[in-house]
Amino acid sequence: MKNPFDDLKCAMKETIFKDFSFSDERKDAVKETIREKHSSQQLHSWKEKTIIAVLESVQHESKHGYDISTHLFQKNDFSFQSNEGQLYTLLHLLENKGIVTSKWINEKKYYLLTMKGIKHLANSKQESTKKQVSLKHLLEEASL
Amino acid sequence: MNELEQLTIVDTCMNDKEQIIDQLMQAYSEGILYLVFTYVKNRTTAEDLTQEIFIKCYEKLDQFNHQASIKTWVYRIASNHCKDYLRSWHYRKIKLDEKMWDHIPSKSKQVEEEIIAKNQETSLSRAIMALPIKYREVVFLHYYEDLTLAEISKVTTININTIKTRLKRAKELLKDKMLKEV
Repeated sequence: MKNPFDDLKCAMKETIFKDFSFSDERKDAVKETIREKHSSQQLHSWKEKTIIAVLESVQHESKHGYDISTHLFQKNDFSFQSNEGQLYTLLHLLENKGIVTSKWINEKKYYLLTMKGIKHLANSKQESTKKQVSLKHLLEEASL
Repeated sequence: MNELEQLTIVDTCMNDKEQIIDQLMQAYSEGILYLVFTYVKNRTTAEDLTQEIFIKCYEKLDQFNHQASIKTWVYRIASNHCKDYLRSWHYRKIKLDEKMWDHIPSKSKQVEEEIIAKNQETSLSRAIMALPIKYREVVFLHYYEDLTLAEISKVTTININTIKTRLKRAKELLKDKMLKEV
């Protein structure tokens, strides 16, 4: 008997794969999801300016979350308006990265810039774009 | 660089990535769909999974290191995604329950199958689809997709010698089956 695989391609095409293809609707659905994912990603990434403003607010004295968010409003940064939870996500990331440290006082968590954070802040202020990008990379890495 | 410029750069990157995925879909969507079908044996599930696979490709595109060819990379994602699916709770608990119905013989189905079975091509495809999954995947990749053993090894992370053995064993199984039917 001859090799049964010889006719395989033709046989499968004519039977189980017949009239079976990845439709344009399906392809469009993929593209749609990609676009959605892209835009939602942008919502969750913070603006450079915002990150620096947060770092600056805890540079000299420790502050709790609400204080930081008021500080941002005063600086006309409304990134976390009606989305305050995101501020805490950012703070936790910064804490994980060792950029800020925290202490519990009277059931409130106070954040303060660490030495590492001070360096990062100074760097990002100096060589604005390049270092800012690296700070952003750092955070993206941490949020994975 | 101001923020606007930064945004436009991100946007072109985004368009590039979208275009790459678009091209990948033009080139491989059919092959991927068929590969997925050989794993899951269900058209709708195959379409759903293929959709997920291309989204995964988009997410992982940055991790493609240009060492492998993009084709084997995409196929590997597909193969892994299917295996994950077959291991998933959903598949094991829900889809297998549905499958139970296939084993309860119904008269109309038997008649239908008898007619189909006369067709040689159908019986060959059926025999292939009835092979255990580890043979099915290598048979499909080698004989349908014409991938080399080295490429199959990259896609499935199976050792080349193991692939050889499996292809040989698959051939024996298939011959047995076809002989019985004739």
